Amino acid sequence: MELLKNLPEMDLMRSEKMTFVQLIIPVESAHRAVSYLGELGLLQFRDLNDDKSPFQRTFVNQVKRCAEMSRKLRFFKDQIHKAGLLSSVLPTLQPDVDLEALETQLSEHEHELIEMNANSEKLQQTYNELLEFKIVMQKAGVFLVSGKTYETAEGRELDDNVYLSDYPESASLLEQATQSGPSISSGLRFVSGIIPKSKVLLFERMLFRATRGNLLFNQVPADDHIMDPVSSEMVEKTVFVVFFSGEQAKTKILKICEAFGANCYPVPEDLTKQTQITQEVLSRLSELETTLDVGIRHRNSALHSIGVHLTTWMTMVKREKAVFDTLNMLNFDVTKKCLVGEGWCPIFAKPQIQEALQRATFDSNSQVGIIFHVMDAVESPPTYFRTNTFTNAYQEIVDAYGIAKYQEANPAVYTVITFPFLFAVMFGDWGHGICLLVGALILIARERKLSSQKLGSFMEMLFGGRYVLLLMSLFSIYCGLIYNEFFSVPYHIFGDSAYRCRDDSCRDAYTAGLVKYRDAYPFGVDPSWRGSRTELPFLNSLKMKMSILFGVAQMNLGIMLSYFNSIYFNNSLDIRYQFVPQMIFLNSLFGYLSLLIIIKWCTGSKADLYHVMIYMFLSPTDDLGENELFWGQRPLQILLLLSALVAVPWMLFPKPFILRKLHSERFQGRAYGILRSSEVDTDSEPGSARQHVEEFNFSEVFVHQMIHSIEFVLGSVSNTASYLRLWALSLAHSELSTVFYEKVLLLAWGYENILIRLVGLSVFAFATAFILLMMETLSAFLHALRLHWVEFQNKFYAGDGYKFKPFSFAAIADDED
Amino acid sequence: MGFILTTLIFLVIGIIACFCARICCNKGPSANLFHLTLVITATVCCWMMWAIVYLAQMNPLIVPILSEGE
Repeated sequence: MELLKNLPEMDLMRSEKMTFVQLIIPVESAHRAVSYLGELGLLQFRDLNDDKSPFQRTFVNQVKRCAEMSRKLRFFKDQIHKAGLLSSVLPTLQPDVDLEALETQLSEHEHELIEMNANSEKLQQTYNELLEFKIVMQKAGVFLVSGKTYETAEGRELDDNVYLSDYPESASLLEQATQSGPSISSGLRFVSGIIPKSKVLLFERMLFRATRGNLLFNQVPADDHIMDPVSSEMVEKTVFVVFFSGEQAKTKILKICEAFGANCYPVPEDLTKQTQITQEVLSRLSELETTLDVGIRHRNSALHSIGVHLTTWMTMVKREKAVFDTLNMLNFDVTKKCLVGEGWCPIFAKPQIQEALQRATFDSNSQVGIIFHVMDAVESPPTYFRTNTFTNAYQEIVDAYGIAKYQEANPAVYTVITFPFLFAVMFGDWGHGICLLVGALILIARERKLSSQKLGSFMEMLFGGRYVLLLMSLFSIYCGLIYNEFFSVPYHIFGDSAYRCRDDSCRDAYTAGLVKYRDAYPFGVDPSWRGSRTELPFLNSLKMKMSILFGVAQMNLGIMLSYFNSIYFNNSLDIRYQFVPQMIFLNSLFGYLSLLIIIKWCTGSKADLYHVMIYMFLSPTDDLGENELFWGQRPLQILLLLSALVAVPWMLFPKPFILRKLHSERFQGRAYGILRSSEVDTDSEPGSARQHVEEFNFSEVFVHQMIHSIEFVLGSVSNTASYLRLWALSLAHSELSTVFYEKVLLLAWGYENILIRLVGLSVFAFATAFILLMMETLSAFLHALRLHWVEFQNKFYAGDGYKFKPFSFAAIADDED
Repeated sequence: MGFILTTLIFLVIGIIACFCARICCNKGPSANLFHLTLVITATVCCWMMWAIVYLAQMNPLIVPILSEGE
């Protein structure tokens, strides 16, 4: 006991000691002080303005400005992304640019960018129109010109007349058109334009109905795709020409064109005019192209120059916003010249914080120093564990169930080893273990590169757990050597088998079996068992008993941790009326079972342990007969049964009564200090001397204790049985492995054909990789996790604390990503 | 006899591992105690696993009966 008290505190065992502090900061150094504290990342501010809405807070304008700036930065990022430029990040640390200067710079850039975008949009639109005009000219011109040629060939041979007679309508109409001209009202006229291909059919039908069939609709698809300015996609368009007569028809057609989004362009029928206009259009198009190119290049260079600084600017703005959000949590004091802040910090960090505050005072040329002193707190402190990259993953695993209460024992200390170990018990195969080891080593070797990249969610989880994976694989190799399974094949690594045939002919081997002629195989399961008919009965018995032994050991460890917790919190009530009866109950039943298992193994007795345990309860005074494992077993069993029976009321009744007595003593005799217990009330606050709930609700405490006791008593049976999953999963893994080996690989290898062998090998490889390495790993991981979270931790873990979340710039950067 | 011998071997390996941990990463008494805990836990777990399997095979109640086609 003395030795235990003299040991130094273990690193990860209990939360760092935290203290509640108050800061009084003069206004001129406030911003700088908070920035330095953010860089340090060891102080968790408490929000003193909780009841105010975001708009009532002091620094709301600055927060708004930061939000506006980050909006502009997002806009830039979007534009860079749309332009397809690679964002080149310069890792150089720039000197702190002033926030106001940055703001003006950003608004300038934004203005410039918006202007450039608007200009290029206009240019693009003009370009599109001209392009459409050119296409319409080319295609529609064909209709009109062909009409004219028919007209001039009027006086030719018979076949021309045949043409003429085939298109009498168009010829005569066109004649009229060419003779009359487009301005005569009653003559034939036409509208030419271009429309998206998808709308052509509907358009035609609509026109037909509107003009009551008095029209001629010609269409031809355009060759090039045209960029639609609205959706910025390439759209297929069709050129159309509508011949009609009459003024009203024209207005109708034009309205329909507008409704369908068809662009109409006037095409002159004169061939020379057409070519002239086409030339003009072509030249203007090439001009516009060059202008557009220049514009795009100009914009890209502007974006590039922005992109270089973008990440640093974004970080800066994020930091400033965080600083102002934190400043909003502080209160102005009476004189309005200082800001008052409160928060939690670890005790070891106090000198660092004081140094940072002094630096802030010096750097901001303030006359008054910052006051930093310790205060008493009402609520319990947050929990803070200082983890390194190795223990971080395990702490996260434990935290996922519940954050440890302040200063209670941290299960992560033991989880570092027992979790991979229990995984390995369920996974044991040293071939698969080697595969996992290779994977884990690859992840660890590329640690630096992978930690700076952005990974997918699955890879991120895998990368975060690389050290867990490493230990899991090492223990798997060990357990695989013990189970003697290398992709389910046993090897004689540790010497010859302990079994051999009874005689040289080995006739009896298939009926009566081999015989054990030496000491047991020195390390692991004897290789003779694999493939025998009695393999499963033997291994099942072995693994079930092994599961019980591991379960009882881990549960005892859990109860011991609750003892250490009680010692730490000076809670002798818990020790006497919870720890002792719990130990007695668990060990008199399941500890005794473990003992029986070990004795049976050592003596080779044929006693039936099920029978022994069941009849220990049903008829304890009966003679054991052939189930007797050692002398004095019957009186011992009676004694253990009585102890277990006594332990149940022992853990149920005394504690609530004593608590009530202590409570009445404390508040009537004012005699405190007897008990600084952590379980006075159900909603207790440890160490609180001031705000104490006056009433002591006895029925609540009694019910709480009853639930706790019942949970323990019933849980001891169910939790012990729950550990049998170690057997179940290891059996499943072994059987799957055997099936793949025997039924896939050996079967395929039996054939002489190289192709079948290759196919068999690849199926074996895929099945091993996906089913055994991935699915079984996840499954064993999950079950080992459950065993820790439920069976191990419910013996001692309260898990109702809250995590220490300091104000830290590094954490903000992580959060955003 | 084999049991006790191998148990002693495990004990020796555990002690050597403790010393290795102390030599390789000596980072103050609290961290040392933590590393010591880890090493002891690992040694105990590995020893338990081996001991259980060894004890189960010391006096077996059934023997391997080879199956047909072996």
